[in-house]
Amino acid sequence: MEQTVVNELDAVAVHVRNLDFYYGQVQALFGINMNIKPRQVTAFIGPSGCGKSTLLRCFNRMNEVLLGTRIAGDILIHGSDIYREGTRLESLRKRVGMVFQKSNPFPMTIFENIAFGPRMRGLREKAQLEGIVERSLKQADLWQEVKDRLNRSALDLSGGQQQRLCIARALANEPEIILMDEPASALDPISTAKIEETIQELRTNYTIVIVTHNLQQAARCSDYTAFFYLGKLVEMDATAKIFQTPTQKRTEDYISGKFG
Amino acid sequence: MPVSENKGYREFRRGFWAEGVPFIWISGITVLLLIGMIAGLIGIIVASGAGNFWPANVAKLTLKDGSYLLGPVTDREEEGAAARTQVKIANRDVFGLDFKWVDDSEIVKTEYPADAAVIERMEYGHLQGFILSFKEGDTVTPATSAGFFDMVAAKHRQVSEAREEMKSVQERITHERRSLTEIEIAMRKLSSGPASDLPETKVRLDEMQKQFDAKSETLAASLQGPERELERLEALAACCEVEVAISDGSTKTVPLMNAVDIYRPNGMGPFSKAAYYAGKAVSFLVDWPRESNTEGGVYPAIFGTVMMVFLMVIICTPLGVMTALYMHEYAKPGPALSAVRMAVNNLAGVPSIVFGIFGLGFFVYFVGGGLDALFFADKLPEPTFGTGGILWASLTLALLTVPVVVVSTLEGLAAVPRANREGSLALGASKFQTIWNVVLPNAMPGILTGVILAISRAAGEVAPLMITGVVKLVSELPVDASWPFFHLDRKFMHLGFHIYDVGFQSPNVEAAKPMVYTTTGLLLLIVVALNLVAIVLRNKLRNKYRGSAL
Repeated sequence: MEQTVVNELDAVAVHVRNLDFYYGQVQALFGINMNIKPRQVTAFIGPSGCGKSTLLRCFNRMNEVLLGTRIAGDILIHGSDIYREGTRLESLRKRVGMVFQKSNPFPMTIFENIAFGPRMRGLREKAQLEGIVERSLKQADLWQEVKDRLNRSALDLSGGQQQRLCIARALANEPEIILMDEPASALDPISTAKIEETIQELRTNYTIVIVTHNLQQAARCSDYTAFFYLGKLVEMDATAKIFQTPTQKRTEDYISGKFG
Repeated sequence: MPVSENKGYREFRRGFWAEGVPFIWISGITVLLLIGMIAGLIGIIVASGAGNFWPANVAKLTLKDGSYLLGPVTDREEEGAAARTQVKIANRDVFGLDFKWVDDSEIVKTEYPADAAVIERMEYGHLQGFILSFKEGDTVTPATSAGFFDMVAAKHRQVSEAREEMKSVQERITHERRSLTEIEIAMRKLSSGPASDLPETKVRLDEMQKQFDAKSETLAASLQGPERELERLEALAACCEVEVAISDGSTKTVPLMNAVDIYRPNGMGPFSKAAYYAGKAVSFLVDWPRESNTEGGVYPAIFGTVMMVFLMVIICTPLGVMTALYMHEYAKPGPALSAVRMAVNNLAGVPSIVFGIFGLGFFVYFVGGGLDALFFADKLPEPTFGTGGILWASLTLALLTVPVVVVSTLEGLAAVPRANREGSLALGASKFQTIWNVVLPNAMPGILTGVILAISRAAGEVAPLMITGVVKLVSELPVDASWPFFHLDRKFMHLGFHIYDVGFQSPNVEAAKPMVYTTTGLLLLIVVALNLVAIVLRNKLRNKYRGSAL
């Protein structure tokens, strides 16, 4: 019996059980239950304020940066309860990387940006750091563009390059899961396409959860889609199914553009 | 068409008030007023202080009664038909005052004789008159002989060099003698201590006495050379005198050793005047003051001011930044934090003299007195740290300026984009790592703004310094070649206090006036220079972080 539970959890990257979330007095998430599969791209869609970003930020406990938030229920990542007392936030956030809506490179060189995470964990050796930087930048499709100017400020890069730098920075930590909070919403179509390409390349090795407002984007690059409405998970299934034959009326209305 | 005209006027009037035209004018005028005030202040300081070192032409005013006045014309007043002229007659030791007003109706003739000489002396200010002769030993050379003034100048240079050398030899001798003084102090301490009656103390004392004698003997032998050298230099320096006829008809003899400068301004061209001016300006910056600060340079005051400001910055920046960090990053918002915030803001409004009194009571008497009792008990009752000094003054000023740094740092921290903090946290950095690597560098421009404000405030502050360590005149700088090099217990001179002292406490305020302006200008320059350093640094950092707050 025990054995089967463990196996079941192994096949699940993120397991959410009866999750409620409050900003002060306001409840933002109601009884969320879901399983996110490993090495797949899962998209969260829904209108503004439906709680999709809040749920995403629960996965690496980023909501705790804000004062007065409260959470009930469990989140298990690869079987371990991340809200258990004694969980080290630093190691959780190393395992669960995050890319934000607005690219946020540090005012440092490109190299220092990528090396930031490993350095924070005490890695000092130059050669090792160089290896990590090169590998991460290659994974994020940025290496060719910046390999000659690693020591220039990251702020000199274009918007799309900055966002891919942020992806590379998250990859440098060798995370298991990458959370992306509307990573392309502030970018032009060409940069967006590049980001999506990067996501396609990363899916083979990483579990990716992406919040998006762009339904086409969800349809194009995700394997599973979860639709949220007013803090509740309305429906979650394979992307093709959600977009073609949703079981819920609300999902269908949203996808067909009846409300948004 | 009177109707439409009327309408046009009404519309104009409505627009006039609605667009706030009068308000724009009033605010523009206020700005103008402010700029005018600042420009006027700086203008007065520069106009009155910049000419201080310029060798003014010496006028010879022959009066009706046949006597004459000799000196630069410094002022003129006209009241209807009556006009009067102020002459700097100098020769303070003879006339008692430096300036004299004379009615223009009294003046028969004004001329600028080329041989009128000004001798700047070590004491009693300038001597103005006509040089009659030069005396070296028993040889007297009259001023009429060929190449007389070149000869005097050459001799004067020689004497000045000898005087400088004397000073350094003197210093060397004092330095050598120091070890003797140390033994003496140790012996005194032992013989007056609680164990003075014990036989072993007596033995020890005898031993020390012997050591002292031996040392003084070797010293006497080794110092023979320098002492002889000193005698020779003294003789050289005292070799010559000049004889000067002054305007009351008498003659005055000035030892060449006492003359700082001998020149004849009326015969100088603009270039030699400019050279003289430059030389004086440099010596103002690098020399020590003379004649109760009204003459000579302000070097120790510059040194004291700058060193105090640096110490203050070193103390108040970490204090303020750490306070602000805790308040902004760690403390939970609530009534307690609001109270602290309010207290910090109010602290900036406490009169500086209150800080001074606190510094005197707490730092000087309590902390300094405690340090003396613990570590310098052998020198008591003479205090070491238990009296005003540059460390206590800097600490007091640091307290005074810490609120400024705290407030600016808080603003700087609040301006750090949340995206940067979250980016760092999301990469697995701890809160401390985030603050240290991302937040603090980002808040640096804000912190430096605080430092700039602190420097401006501290460099201009005088009141709290007067009771925590500033003095009118010091014999040693707080940093010198003797161990441990930094003497933070020493008293120091400060430009702000120097201005007060020269302008209001000197025996001869009128003569010192240009000096006050010059010193004020210098203090302003130093504050601007210190600020510029911080501003350039801040702009560099701002450039580095530009775009991060997009």
